[in-house]
Parts: sequence; C-alpha cells; structure tokens
Amino acid sequence: MPITLMADTTDIEIRLRKLSRAFSEGKHVHQVLHGIDADFARGETIAIRGRSGSGKSTLLNLIAGIDVPDAGSIEVSGIDITKLSERDRTLFRRKHVGFVYQAFNLVPTLTVADNIRLVLELNEVTRIDANARIRELLDAVELSDRADSFPDILSGGEQQRVAIARALCHGPAVLLADEPTGNLDDATADAVLRLLDQLVRAAGGTMLIATHSARVARFCDCSLTLAAGKLMAE
Amino acid sequence: MPGFAHIVAAASIALIATASTAADQNEGSRLAKLLAGDPAAGFARALEPRAFDFPHDHGPHPEYRNEWWYFTGNLEDASGRRFGYELTFFRVALGTEPPRSDSAWRSNQVYMAHFAVTDASSERFYVAERFSRAALGLAGAARDPFAVWIDNWSIRERPPGSFAESSPERERWTLSAADDRIALKLDLAALKPPALNGSDGLSRKSADPGNASYYYSISRWQSSGMLSIGAETYAVTGHSWLDREWSTSALADEQVGWDWFALQLSDGTDIMFYNLRNTDGSQDAHSAGTWIGPDGTATSIRPGEIDIAATGTWESPSGGRYPSGWELRVPGRELAVTVAPVIDNQELRTLVRYWEGAVDVRGRLGDIAVTGRGYVELTGYADTPSSAE
Amino acid sequence: MPVIYRASLSYLLRHPWQLTLAVVGICIGVAVIVAVDLANSSARKAFLLSMDAITGVATHQVIGGPAGLDETLYRELRVARGLTNIAPVVEGYGDAPSGPVRIFGVDVFAERAMERFADLDSVATDDDPTSLIGDLLTEPGAALVSEATAAALGLRRGDMIELVTAGRVHAARIIGIFESTGGAADDVLLTDVATAQVWLNQPGRLTRIDARLGDHPDAVARFQEILPAGTRLLSAAGRTRATTEMSTAFMTNLTAMSLLALLVGLFLIYNSVSFSVLQRRGLIGVLRALGITRRQAFTLVVVESAGIGLIASVIGVLVGIGLGERLLVLVSQSINDLYFRVNVTAVDVSGLSITKGMLAGIAASTLAAAVPAFEAAAYPPRLALLRSTVEHRARHLVPLIAGLGVLTLLVAAATLWSSARSLVAGLAAVFLVIFGFAMCIPLAVRGLAILFERPGRHLAGLPGAMAISGIATSLSRTGVAIVALAVAVSATIGVSVMVDSFRGSVSAWLERSLQADVYVGAQGGPLDPEVIADLAALPGVAHVSSSRRARFEYTGGQTDVLAIDMAPGSYAGTEIIDSLDVDVWRAFDAGDAVLVSEPYAYQHEVAPGDTITLPTTSGDRIFPIVAIYQSYDVSASAILMSRDTYDRYWDDTAIDSIGLYLDEGANADAIIAMATAIAANRQALRARSNSDIRVLSLEIFDRTFIITDVLYWLATGVALIGILSAMLALQLERARDLAVLRALGMTPAELGGMITLQTGAIGLFSGLAALPLGVAMAYILIDVINRRAFGWQIDMDVGAGVLVSAVLFAVLAAVVAGLYPAWRAANSRPALAMREE
Repeated sequence: MPITLMADTTDIEIRLRKLSRAFSEGKHVHQVLHGIDADFARGETIAIRGRSGSGKSTLLNLIAGIDVPDAGSIEVSGIDITKLSERDRTLFRRKHVGFVYQAFNLVPTLTVADNIRLVLELNEVTRIDANARIRELLDAVELSDRADSFPDILSGGEQQRVAIARALCHGPAVLLADEPTGNLDDATADAVLRLLDQLVRAAGGTMLIATHSARVARFCDCSLTLAAGKLMAE
Repeated sequence: MPGFAHIVAAASIALIATASTAADQNEGSRLAKLLAGDPAAGFARALEPRAFDFPHDHGPHPEYRNEWWYFTGNLEDASGRRFGYELTFFRVALGTEPPRSDSAWRSNQVYMAHFAVTDASSERFYVAERFSRAALGLAGAARDPFAVWIDNWSIRERPPGSFAESSPERERWTLSAADDRIALKLDLAALKPPALNGSDGLSRKSADPGNASYYYSISRWQSSGMLSIGAETYAVTGHSWLDREWSTSALADEQVGWDWFALQLSDGTDIMFYNLRNTDGSQDAHSAGTWIGPDGTATSIRPGEIDIAATGTWESPSGGRYPSGWELRVPGRELAVTVAPVIDNQELRTLVRYWEGAVDVRGRLGDIAVTGRGYVELTGYADTPSSAE
Repeated sequence: MPVIYRASLSYLLRHPWQLTLAVVGICIGVAVIVAVDLANSSARKAFLLSMDAITGVATHQVIGGPAGLDETLYRELRVARGLTNIAPVVEGYGDAPSGPVRIFGVDVFAERAMERFADLDSVATDDDPTSLIGDLLTEPGAALVSEATAAALGLRRGDMIELVTAGRVHAARIIGIFESTGGAADDVLLTDVATAQVWLNQPGRLTRIDARLGDHPDAVARFQEILPAGTRLLSAAGRTRATTEMSTAFMTNLTAMSLLALLVGLFLIYNSVSFSVLQRRGLIGVLRALGITRRQAFTLVVVESAGIGLIASVIGVLVGIGLGERLLVLVSQSINDLYFRVNVTAVDVSGLSITKGMLAGIAASTLAAAVPAFEAAAYPPRLALLRSTVEHRARHLVPLIAGLGVLTLLVAAATLWSSARSLVAGLAAVFLVIFGFAMCIPLAVRGLAILFERPGRHLAGLPGAMAISGIATSLSRTGVAIVALAVAVSATIGVSVMVDSFRGSVSAWLERSLQADVYVGAQGGPLDPEVIADLAALPGVAHVSSSRRARFEYTGGQTDVLAIDMAPGSYAGTEIIDSLDVDVWRAFDAGDAVLVSEPYAYQHEVAPGDTITLPTTSGDRIFPIVAIYQSYDVSASAILMSRDTYDRYWDDTAIDSIGLYLDEGANADAIIAMATAIAANRQALRARSNSDIRVLSLEIFDRTFIITDVLYWLATGVALIGILSAMLALQLERARDLAVLRALGMTPAELGGMITLQTGAIGLFSGLAALPLGVAMAYILIDVINRRAFGWQIDMDVGAGVLVSAVLFAVLAAVVAGLYPAWRAANSRPALAMREE
C-alpha cells in the first residue's frame, strides 16, 4: 500500500515501488531501504526526515538516477528510470532533476554565473537565453552583483543560494535537496529555505528535502520519516 | 685562318664551366681582359720568316703558346649524298717550362678538339668537342711519325703503302673521330705540297710586330673512308683541306673577328682568304689570302685584289646574325663566283660560338665555267658585344 | 570554450606546479626524441649530401685492389675504348691545421661529364679566370675550397695551408673558392689529379674511375666486359647505401634510448594526470550528478591531457632543436670514430623530426591520460568519493597488473627467442621487459612496505611506521613515481653494467692483442719502406711485425682485410674463439687460410670450414676460413690474412704500420724518440708505446658512450621530476591528514622528517625494484642488442658497486626530490589545511 499524500490527484510526479537498496561493508550487509512504496504528486514539497545513516541520501540518489536500486522501480514524470541505461539516466537527470547539497558543491574553478551556465550548457540552452536566465536567477537569489565572483569568497548562505539557482536554472520537474541548510546558521537557513520554497513553488516543481531537522520540515507541505528502511508518515 | 688563338684561350677559361651557354654574353669582355694582359711572356714569337722543314713541322711547336691542326672537307657517297666535316685540334700551352712531377698527369699542354659533320641532304649539322691535358697519353701531338690526338680522336701519319695515286713524297695520313652520333674514318693523301701563307709562311695579324703566326696550308687532300651518322654508315670520298698555324699572338684591340674562305675549284685551283673585320665594320688592312694553282704554286692575295660581298644573312637561333652567301671576285684573275652554304645552320655552339660550314661554289674563271666546294669560317658575330645587338 | 573545459583549464592554472611538472616531463621526452632524431638525420643527411656532391651524376665507380687502380686503365678506356663519360678520382685524407680534410683530386676536363661541384662555375667569375685553370693544372699544391670551408677556416684566395698526408708535409695554395650548397663540400680540398697523387703518395694510381653509364643494363654489362681482372664496377648509389647502413645499428640504438626518455616522461604525465583526476574526484562526482555523461567525463580528461601534451610538445620541440645541436657534436664524433667521415656543423631542422616529436608527445600524453580518464568516467555521480575507495580499488588492481606484467615478460622472452638476428625486435623486447617489470613493481613495493614497516617503527616510532605504510596505502599515487624512478635507475644499471662489461672485455682484448712494445705508423698513408728498414735496424729492436689494412668493396658492402706479418711468438696476441681441428697458425702462415673476426662471422653468418671470396689482382679467389678470432676493432668486421698470402694475390707492397718488439731492458720512449728522429726528414711518424695505445683506445671507447650517458641522465632527470611531482601531489592530497598531525602536536621538523623518511623509502624501494630489471636489461643489452648491432660477444660482469650505488642514488634522488614537498608540508598552517576540505 503506497503512501499517497494527495489521494485526490492522479497527477503523480514520482512513483516508488518496492524500492530496496543495501550496502555491504565487509561481511556485514546493511539494508538501507527495504521495499519502499510511495507516490509524490506534482508541485508537492516533501520533507524526508531521519537520523544520520537512515538512508535519506540514498533515497535521493536513487530518485536522481545517481544510484541504482537492488530491487523495485522508480518512476519519475512517467518514466521508469530503473529501466534506463546509465547514459540515459544521466541525460534524464541532466534534464529533469535539480540537486542541492549540504556542502553546496559549487565548481570552485568557475564563477557564480558559469556554475549556472554549466547546467544550461549541458541542456543545450543557447548563449543568449542562458545569459538572460542567469541574470533572472541571480536576481531571484539576490546575487546579481556576485555573478563574476568565484564561489570560495562567498559566504555559506550565498553559496547555497547559487547552488539553488543552479539547481533550478533548467526548470527541472524534480528538485532534490540533501540537508540544504546543514552548513548554515539558523537565520541564514531560514532565508535559504524560504527562497527555495518560493522558487520551487513558482516553477511548479516537486521538491524532496532530506533533513534531520524539524525546523526544515516546517517549510514543507508534508513530512515523512525514514527509519529501518521504511518510509512512514509522521 | 688567323687569330684563332682566342678560341683556344677562351676555351681554357671556360673549361671549368659546364657547357652551358649562359656565360656567352660575357665572353667578349672576358676575352678582352684576358688579351689585354701579357700572357705571352716567355713564349717564342713569330717575328721573322722561318725555314719550314716538312714533315718535321707537322709536329707540335710547344715553345709557342698556341697551335692547331685544322681539317675541313667535302665528301659524298656513291649516290651523291653530300657531306661536310671539320676536325680540328687546338693546343694551348699554360706555361713555358714543362713542370716536373712524380705524377704522370702533370702537364702544361692542354688540347681541345672540335668535330663537326654536315649532312646536306637531311639538313642536319652535328658537333662534338673534347678537352684534355697532354699527359699520360690522353692527348698530345708528336712528330716522326706525326700524330695529334685527344681520346679516340686522332690524325696520324700512315706507314708507307696503299695510296697509289699520290706521289710517294706527299703526306699520307689517317683521320679518325667518333662521338655518340657521328663517326668518321678517312684515309688522306695530300695532292699538293704545303703552301706557305703570308710572307713565306709568316702571317701578320696586326701592325704590332710579333703579333703574327707561322701559317701553312695543304689545300687539297684526296679523302676516302667511312662516315657514320646515327645508325647509318656511308662510304665517302672527297677533298679535304689542312690549315696549320702556331703563334703566340692575339687579335688587336680594334679587330672583332674574321671571315675565312677555303675554296677548292673544279679546275684544281684552291683559294684561301681571310677577311679581318674591325669593330667599326671596316676591313682590316692585314686581311690576306693565298691563290694556290693546280700545280701547287702559291701566290699571295692582298686585300685590294679581292672583292667579297655578302648576299644574305642568317639569324642564329641562339642569337647573332651571320652573313650567308657571297659574291666573290678576284678581278686580276678574272674569277667571279657565288659562294653558298650547303645548309644555313652550321654554327658550332661550343665554348666559343662560331659558324664553320661547307659551301658550294659556282661561277666563271676567265672563259670557263667553274664549280667548287669549300669551307667558310665566320667568327665574332655571336660572341662579341659588338655583334650582340 | 565550453564551461566544463573552462573549469578544467582554470583548475590547471590554479595548480601551476602540477601543470609545470606535467609539461616538463613530456617536454624532456619530446626534446630528447627530437634532438636524437635531428642529430641522426642531420649526420646522415650531411653524409649523403657530401656523397652526392662528390658522386655528381656518376652512376658507377670502377675500383681496384687495395692500392687502387693503375692509371693507365683510364687512358685505355678513354683513348683505346673511346669512352667519354668517365672521370678519374684520386681521393684520400690529410690533416690541415684546422683538422682532417678530404683531398679530392680530379681532372677538370673529365669533370665536365660528371657535374659535381657544379658551382665551380662561380670560380670562373674571379678577376683572372685563365690563371685559375692553368694554376690548377700546372701548379703543384694548387687547390680550391668551398665558400663555407673558406669562411670557417678564414681562408682567402692565395692563402697557403700546411697539409700533412702519409706523414709528409705539403703546402697547399688556395687558388679559388667555389660555392657549395648545404655544406656538401665542407672539408673538401679540391685539386688536380696530379697534385692529389703527389700529396697522397700514390703516383701511377687512381682511387677510382667514376662512370656515367645511365640505367641501361646493357651499358653496364658492356662496360663490365671491358674492365680487366682485379677491378670491379660498383653502383655509386649502392656504395653510398652500404656505407650509411654501417651506422644504422648505431642510430637505431640512439633512437631507442631517446624513446626511453619519452617512456619515463610517459610515466610522469600519467602521474600528473591521474593525480589531477584523483584530486578532482569530488568535482567530477558533482559534474556527473549535474548530468555529465561518462563519455563526456572521459573526453574531458583526455582532451585536457592532450592539451598539456600539445603545449609540452611545442616547447619540447624547441628545446630539442637546441639540444640536437649539442647532441650532433657527439653523434658525428662517434660516427667519425666508428664508421665513416662526416663533417656536419649545423642541425638540419626537418619537418619530419618535428612531426615525430609532436606526435610522440601528444600521443604519449593522450595515452598516459587514458587510464585516469577511464577512472574519471567510472566515478559514480557521488558527492564525495572516499579516498579509501580509490585505494581499495588500487589494491585490487595491483596483483592484476602484476599478472599482466608477468605476461608481458613472457611475450618479451618469446620475442627474443623468435627473432634470431633482428635488432629492432631486440629493442622491442627491451621495452617489453621494462613494461613487464614496471607492472610488477607496485606489488613488489607493497611487499617491501610490509617488510620495512617494522624497521620504520624502530627508526622513527609511529610516524615512521606511518611513513612506510603510507607508501603502500597510497599506491595509486606513489606507485607510478616509484615505477618511473625504478625504470630510470634500472636503465642506468643496465647501461652501466653493459658499458663496464664491454670496457672490461675491450681492455683485456687490448692487453692481449697489443703484443709489440711500440707501434709505428704514418698519418694518412703507408710507411716509407726505407723508414721501415731503418727502424728495424735500430739498436734495441729485436723483431718487427707489420700490418696492412686493405678495404674491399663489393655490391652491397665492404670488407677489411688485415694482412699481418707477425713477429715470432706473437700468435698468442690473437684469441681464437672457434676453429677447425687443424694447426690454425700453420694453415695461416703456409696455406691460403684466413681468420675472420667475430663480428664478421656473426654478420656474414660464416664459421670455420666455410670459404670467403675476395677480389684479387687476378680475379676472384676463394679462401678457406680456419678460425674465428676475437676482435673489438671498432670499424667492425675484418679478415685476418698472413702477409705472405696477401703478397701472393695482391699487387700491393704498402705497409700501414709496424710493431717493434724490443730487447729486454730497452726503453720504449727512447726507441720512439730515435725512430721519430731518423724518419724526420722523410716521414712524420706516429709512434706510440702499447700502453699509450691502450689508453687512447679506451678514450675513444669512452667517448662513444658519452652520448649514451647523456641520454640516460636525461631519463633519470625526468624520473626525478616524477618523484617531486608525486610527493607534492601526495602532500597536497594529505594536507588535511598532515594538518591533523600538526594539530595533534607534531612539530614541523617532525612532520618534515616523516615525509623525508617516506621519500627516502620510496627511493629505496625504487632502487631495490630496479635491481632485477637493471640486471635483466644489462643481459639483454649485452647478449642481444650489442650482438645484433655489432656482432660482439662480451663477458657480462655485474659489479656489486654498480648495484649498490644505483640503490644509493635512487634513495638520494628521491630524498632530494622530496625536500621541497616536505618543507612545504611542514610549513603549511594546519588551520588553513583543515578548513579546505
């Protein structure tokens, strides 16, 4: 029985079925995800909560096509990505998924603008359109004046705002955020989350935020908990 | 045929140049420079008439700087096919003292030879030239028995024998030369004794004393042998002419070249005349010739006694305009003939370019009609700056 | 430029030392290849050019026996046979104050058919042209030189130079200077046949008669028919080819050495690229997460590396051209010592050499990037890949690679066995052995690290143990550096052992074969017979031996015959390697039997019992081979014949050198002084005691190997840069770990010491790993390469000194290369390093 958050809508963006993933460390096998079933509707914002090591990041990696499940299926925007080749999963991710990380993961050798441009370029956006889009996004994250700066001179909050802009620049259907505020102080974290929420909603995207923080979960439409390899409603 | 020294001298300049004609434009000025010096120091000079001693004097005279043996002739085969030939050996001494050396190659005598064949019926003209040092038997000249040679080209005295029709005291020689395309082997029997040109054989070339040569001709030789052109060989007979000259002289500054005529008439008369030309186009006063009667009697011809007028010209494809065809008169002898080249192009594009070719003679001598054959040599038309325009 | 490439360029620019070292590595490799190639091709081209200039349009050459041709043959051909396209040549060498010159005697008239020194035309434009030809023909000693020679020696028209030929002094007067292109006629003294005959003391003889016969076989056959017995008609092109081919083995060896430098450079760029990939594994993970495909990641790394290769190759080519000029001096010196006379002053920069270098550089760097690029492409799109995962994988790979290495070694062995005589196959085997061994080295290092961990702990406590075990646990990093250094060190071991063994064999051979006390010869020609008689009569001289070296050419090659008149009891000087079961020396003295040198036997595949055909004065004649003798005579193969036999078949009385056997107690130096004095007015002698000759011979030997040394030092240089680069990389990589150690209270000195211990251990491991490879290389170089290249058999002699010093060198080199990284790590601020991750 899948968890359905908005039972009245047939507009399902992400459909997980019997999803399992285990990691082996030496002789010990650690079952991280154990037969997860879940449907997430388009436009929803969901917080995935759980302790460290509970498998939050693994779940996000699986949905992004970065990792592959041992069993089960993942359907995103109507496509079962577990049936795709590695290359097709990459191309799918490039087009449909945005990622925001705890550690920001900006490319240190590229400027703020170029970090965003990288993703636009991968999606074959023309140079003129890309420039307009970068300007628009940097305006939105209030970093217009830092376009030509390198990431290492930005504060944590600023870096994460760049990462958000980068994650949203190509209009992904799904935005995955892995502890996006884990490296930020509370005030900055709130500002970043507000911005993220506002932008994702404006774009009509579906967002999954992996976090251990209740504070973060408050910004979401709903909140699920991952424990013992199962996903449960709170 | 005087002053040919300059060809020999020029040859030695150009010996190390390849046979290209590119340097020809400079030849005249180079020559002038060369002749302006005194390269003759230490050599004997032709100052006085001398007593000639034959056959001894057929051999070389190395104490003089230059010397040549100059055969020309008109030949035909049994079918009347007409040929002309020239085989000339030049000797030039590079110094007066013979060098001493452990090497047999060391020599101060250099030889050059020209071999040309005119094939009148196919209107072709063939030329070859050779150079060598007189060392190791590669080239040289000898007396008693007489011989002159370069490589396999030679003129040699024959041992007494075959030639029944010639007087036993006359010269009996053989001539032999072969190149890639042409080969000639002739038995030669002199029909006349040597005729001394100039004053008893002293031939003055300018007013400068010593600028003279010793010069004699044997103007008529019975000739027979084999001539090869390409793959064809012809049995030929005819008459040849020998000019012999040695000297340490040169052309005077104002002299530019000469026209030399050697004509053998059907009545047995032979006529030699050289017309020295000055840079201004006039005839030099030292022009001279010899009238050799059928019996061999030689009489000088002075410039005023002969009248030669060119009737045409021929343009060399390599540049230069030569006279071609003449009216020749010796009023005192009632001779009036036309002289016509058997073919136009008989130019030798050798180190020094000149024209030397077989001619036909036709006209009257006194009351009788005469014909004849001969050779004409034209120099200074192609190589000197004055004729370059 | 796409943004991802911009990211990578920006990365490289932010790590300038890493970029620089990668560039330097490939750069040196390319430079050495280009330099060797330029030096080789310049030397060869100069030789061919001079041969062309001297051959002109002649297609064939008539040559005679050892004393040349009788000059009357030329007259015969020209006058009796009417041949025109032939020219006499009297050729030889003399010594001018400036050095050796080639005396080239010609006949200017015959030269008209040969079109050589065609630019002689230009001489005729001098102001007095007639005297030039006249002087050349009539003046003894008149000669011409090329413009380049004149400029180099400061000669002007009219200058006199002193010339020594066949021990006699002559005066040459420069009467003209001719133009020549491309140094073709450099060191040529062009003169008349007569002058050359006198200078070279060859009256009545010609060196050869050049002929222009064209290509038509009939013309050649007809010409052949009229030549007398004792003469041979050879194709000019074939003669030139045969001469140049003598040096092919030498040049192939040089090329192989230059490839070694590139090979070590290859390790270096692999090192740099794989490190840069490893260091960016996080970044690559992010890029993969953002949607970069594996192929794009792979291409990114390869393109980046090819870009580095391109830049490095361009610089390498430029450096190579400069280096080539220096190398050319050594190469041409060796060619002069060993093979033929070549005078080359300038490197001829050919597009081909540059292209070769560029291709080698770019290909090497692309190839080197392939493995790291695969690694990059294999990174899962993770946020961070743990170092331990990489090492974990490397640990798994190590035995696999070693297995592959063993397989490669087997292939190498198979190559050696199956290719009986091919030099190229032998060299290929050397490289296979290097590769195979190299692949086993990481496994060996792991073993060594386990072995040395305990000593490390004893030496420096826990940090010591960490230093040692760190080598094994960071094999993905250190492995390549160790391999590079090990290869370079093993090359020095291999070459040192080979050279030492070779030198030992040569030295022993000289000791044995130089039986006479004093050897006397005349420079550039045979000895005067009267001088020989006078020397034999000197008080104190007991016996005299004599020798004459005669060179016989035939289609496709040449053979030297050594005609020896031995002194009583001096047979022992000749070491018989293999012989028929007969009294060798009896057959040698009394019969027609000959001995062949070992290189000759190898190259011509003959053995005792076979026969050899030589062109005698009266035509070809068969001589039985009774034995093979040992010889390291550098001008390669030779046939030993008794003087009596020689005199029976050749019309040549010349003696090149004599050996004086002195009475007991006679003083060699005194005899030399006397000999020189009594010959003074006749011939300038070159008289030396046997010990002097031994020293001189070994000097020439050493000179030949200078170039080898230079090349191996360059390879070692590349390897050292590899160590430096690897250590820097490792330190940067571990900046956080090291910062933690500092934070835990380790002083900078302690930290520096630990790193130095680690680099020292890396050097030690490299040195130890190099030992078996070095010995294996020495074996192949001696028993395969030298034999296939020169036919020499050498006793291998592995000195402990060579091995110990190689290991010490490796340790020292690694420690030196690690000093800066150690200093850097010790002085980094821990807080800063910790913040960076």
